[in-house]
Amino acid sequence: MTKKTFLHDEQVKLGARMIEFAGWMMPVSYSSIIDEHKTVRENVGLFDVSHMGEVYVYGNDSLAFLNKLVPQEISKLIASKAVYCQLLNKQGGIIDDLIIYKIEDEKYLLIVNASRIDEDLNWMVRNSLGFDVKIDNQSHNYSLLALQGPRALDLMDKMGVKKENQPEFFSIKRAEIFNINLFVSRTGYTGEDGFEILVKNEFSELLWNYIIETGKEFNLKPIGLGARDTLRLEAALHLYGNDMDEVTTPIEAGLAWSVAKNKTADYNGKEVIKKQLENGGEKKLVALKMLERAIPRHEYEIFYNNKKVGIITSGGVSPVLNENIALGYVNNIKEICLGSIVQVKIREKLYKAEIVKKPFVQKKNKETQK
Amino acid sequence: MSLTEGILCSKSHEYLLEKGGKYIIGLTDYAIEQLGDIVFLELPDIGAEFVKGEVFATIESVKAASEIYMPISGKIVEINEAVVDNPEILNESPYEKGWLVKVESETAHIDSIDLLEYEDYKEEIA
Repeated sequence: MTKKTFLHDEQVKLGARMIEFAGWMMPVSYSSIIDEHKTVRENVGLFDVSHMGEVYVYGNDSLAFLNKLVPQEISKLIASKAVYCQLLNKQGGIIDDLIIYKIEDEKYLLIVNASRIDEDLNWMVRNSLGFDVKIDNQSHNYSLLALQGPRALDLMDKMGVKKENQPEFFSIKRAEIFNINLFVSRTGYTGEDGFEILVKNEFSELLWNYIIETGKEFNLKPIGLGARDTLRLEAALHLYGNDMDEVTTPIEAGLAWSVAKNKTADYNGKEVIKKQLENGGEKKLVALKMLERAIPRHEYEIFYNNKKVGIITSGGVSPVLNENIALGYVNNIKEICLGSIVQVKIREKLYKAEIVKKPFVQKKNKETQK
Repeated sequence: MSLTEGILCSKSHEYLLEKGGKYIIGLTDYAIEQLGDIVFLELPDIGAEFVKGEVFATIESVKAASEIYMPISGKIVEINEAVVDNPEILNESPYEKGWLVKVESETAHIDSIDLLEYEDYKEEIA
């Protein structure tokens, strides 16, 4: 049975074309994906991402427990701060990628992918033996809205969360908008500055309509999953299931920057991760820009000197660069590096592409990612 | 005159319009609306011959690549270079400016038996 978010009917009223995604009916686009994409890069866009999961972890051992699950250093996280993490299996493969927010001591909020909620919960419960923790799935009680783009800060200010009170990058704060108590975090999935707003389901429609109304003078538009995908691809942000899976490690996925290099605590997959931090993994994620006119897509093959060396995991057009771009995996050989020319097989023909630096479009938020 | 007058449509959303002994082939407004922003088109070479039902072109929207099928058998005699250079023309004008190819066909009258008039096509896909 396909689920609907609490904002489903409001979105249909706004002209959304709905599709099924990860078991939910979600808006793919309201007008044009390219137009929505540019709205987020130039002004501000509002997304309903209520399909995503919210899981609280409480208890005396919550820190030790989370530290066992991810290769990031959770003990350094102070209250109100957040960290981008990967939930790893014993082999270092990625079960999910998530953001862990420290609400206060012994209380953490995990925001996880919709398609992975069940796997995440199962894995957390299996790992919780011997820890004094409570794993509390609140996904069914919360809606999540994202407000992204260069004018998001001004709009948030206008809505009563003044600039001096807005959370810093990768932080979360309790706030009040339109008399509704909620959480505002300075995170997102577009490469732009902006916020994600966590609100109880019963208030989400009220909040959505208030933002749509207040946002008019900022040229705000509602944005669908289509533009969410092109935005995150330009920012070279990974999509779980495409660019990451259980047989891919964070090192292979180009996420070594996010992994703690000298973490003392033991964690699932530590042996593999430690080795790969030295030597790399079996494969490596690369960013590609097409040199010929053709669009690379998910599962197209990558060739080097006429030999198959890898596969595209996400690809498409960049509306901002007006070029065709992709993320993919190639065998971890040193000949394939920045500046290398490879080929992508598209409808039985090979087209040239160059390995380029990530991200494709410079991020406007304050993330310091290498 | 309505833009869709005289056109015949396939269930895979190609349209066919006879004009001066040649057959113009394109994609219906419904198909274009479903695809969204068109960003790429690959059309066949002039002179290429295809049978009814064969893939003769590829269209890509932001989201995905799709194949386009011949609604009749025939030989490509003209392609619309303008839409190859500016695929967004299809979003703006699927019938007037956004046609794809023109073909010559000996068998069009038989091949088009299962094609639908526009009104019937709209009803079929509704």
